[in-house]
Amino acid sequence: MTLHPTVLALPVALPLIFGALGMLFQSARPPRRVRVQQAFTGIGLGANLVLALVLLIYALNGGRLAYQMGLWPAPFGISVYLDALTAIMLAMVGLLSVVIFPFALATIDAERARAGFFPMMLFLLMGANGAFITGDLFNLYVFYEVLLMSSFVMLTLGGTPSQINGGIRYVVLNLMGSMMLLLAAGITYGTLGTLNMAHIAVRMGQAPYLVQAVIAGLLLIAFGAKAATFPLFFWLPSSYHTPHPVVTAIFSGVLTKVGMYSMFRTFPLFFPWLLNDWQPMLMTVAGLTMVIGVLGAFAQPTIRRLLSFHIISQIGYMVMGLAVAMTPSAFGVGFGLALAILFLMHNQLVKTALLLGGGAVELEMGTGKLNELGGLVKQMPVQATLFLVAAFSLAGFPPTSGFIGKLGLLEVTFSAGQWVIAAVSIVVSLLTTMSMIRLWQYVFWGKPHRAQPLQHGRTPHQATLMTTAPVAILVALSLLIGVAAQPALDMVQVAANQAIDRAGYVQVVNPELTATDLKSLQTPPATSAVQTGADSGG
Amino acid sequence: MTEIYLRLVDLILTPIIMLIAIMLFLRGHDLPGGGFIAGLVFAAAIELSILARGAEATRERYGPWLAPLIGVGLGVAVVAGLIGIYGGGFFRGMWVELYIGASKLKLGTPQLFDLGVMLVVIGMAITYLLRLSEAAEAATRTPTAGEGGQS
Repeated sequence: MTLHPTVLALPVALPLIFGALGMLFQSARPPRRVRVQQAFTGIGLGANLVLALVLLIYALNGGRLAYQMGLWPAPFGISVYLDALTAIMLAMVGLLSVVIFPFALATIDAERARAGFFPMMLFLLMGANGAFITGDLFNLYVFYEVLLMSSFVMLTLGGTPSQINGGIRYVVLNLMGSMMLLLAAGITYGTLGTLNMAHIAVRMGQAPYLVQAVIAGLLLIAFGAKAATFPLFFWLPSSYHTPHPVVTAIFSGVLTKVGMYSMFRTFPLFFPWLLNDWQPMLMTVAGLTMVIGVLGAFAQPTIRRLLSFHIISQIGYMVMGLAVAMTPSAFGVGFGLALAILFLMHNQLVKTALLLGGGAVELEMGTGKLNELGGLVKQMPVQATLFLVAAFSLAGFPPTSGFIGKLGLLEVTFSAGQWVIAAVSIVVSLLTTMSMIRLWQYVFWGKPHRAQPLQHGRTPHQATLMTTAPVAILVALSLLIGVAAQPALDMVQVAANQAIDRAGYVQVVNPELTATDLKSLQTPPATSAVQTGADSGG
Repeated sequence: MTEIYLRLVDLILTPIIMLIAIMLFLRGHDLPGGGFIAGLVFAAAIELSILARGAEATRERYGPWLAPLIGVGLGVAVVAGLIGIYGGGFFRGMWVELYIGASKLKLGTPQLFDLGVMLVVIGMAITYLLRLSEAAEAATRTPTAGEGGQS
């Protein structure tokens, strides 16, 4: 299969076109406006998923694509780049937004729909897609801003005081993260003279160690703030429980994961040796993120507050995978990154399923407070079962995707000799299990409290189907990854090998580089302890 | 109600600022200016009329156009990129030269993109300014709750 590189404009252009079409009807009379916008959003999300799946198949067959915007050659213009890692992320986010769409149709109230919720979904998707495919550091910042703006609008739609409060915290702390990214881009341009990621990769090895450390540190802070790692996660628990449950579900599948993806993309490409040099620090961040996230979850009084602390906790596992990415182990270099990618996929599926399931309960009962819920297993047996399976998947029970991800990460950290973090991750898994069982017990077990009227306009039956099916699909996919572990592992292995293949990235983006430039990618700088010989692929 | 002087200033200055905005947009390709700045200047002109006539009257006049304007702007920007595909790739710069009498006018897709940016910025900025002044007016109105507020 061959694809023309111009298709790489589509992940950004498609959502933008349909979003713009939806905005045209913003002044139409409300019922028509909402119907038209829903239709455009549905078509846009569907088309985007088809596109993402085509790109995924292309990339998993070993294909890589780069496109130069406006045909300006590589170091000067803006490049966009596609490999298996990019394609997996595009497909996952495309899939999540399609799956969430019926839930949104069933539960978004008229006021939010009229205020433009549905076009905003597409703008959020456009920001995420752009951040995935871009091959330019400044362009990455631009797409982060697109994401930030559209997510801020989604967060504050409805305009209750708690939403405004959470929204301001969210936007201020995230803007600080964006500032760090901008600063990193500025320093990169000032010292290396380029913003093209391929070009940065070529020149980074020749820069002084201090410059590398400053850029890497700033990027770590910027992406860490987006991904909600320790100590930069405060914006997440203070804002995620305030908006409509659908919005929380979308955010958990997209926002923090974009930050994680950016780490996966930039660190192995720019300075793979730093992943080893800084391993103790990364391990500390990973461990503290896991522990504080899961301990915080025990103190939470509502479903969504509790689940948002688990989002943080699970991010720690991905950082752990990244930290051992360049360490040689029995599984070869890069296997840690592969598992981190697999864990990210698993987390997107399961976390979104839990937040949708919890959101359905919250909408049905009119409250998310744990001490006001109980005994729902009789009222909503299907939801209760799905929630339990998703909770076990989050905790890492077989045969779910969580089991594969956690077992793999444990093996690779043990094999890399990092037994402390491995022990921490086991304890955190146990605590996660306890916390999730406690949550399930509070909500679905015990004596039923008085039922509240429905919070949305649909009939109960309609709403039940449209809110249960998305959760069922996500849980089924999690089980599928757990059962068909080998194909899933092969897939992420391809992605990880391409992500650590620096010479390959540079050659695809900028084919006119000389042999000496490429040679500089193969030899690590003097400070590095480990050969980056993984360039040839495992 | 609104001040007579402000209304006079609005009557004279608003069209001039709008013209400045259009000028900034046109010179933007080679000189300082461009769609983003032009959009902000244009929004400043509207802000003047918000101050002079009040947010309500301004919303009545421009309100229904704002969101579609953002849509049109985004659409124009994407179309500017798509036209480039005809020339070989997305966002490829394409130019036409028009001769009006002796003067040459160069029009291209980068300017079309800039136009889209300008429309989006106008729509966003005015929406934002209107919301702000509506909130401010509501806040000043509540304590007195009637006519006769002196300044």
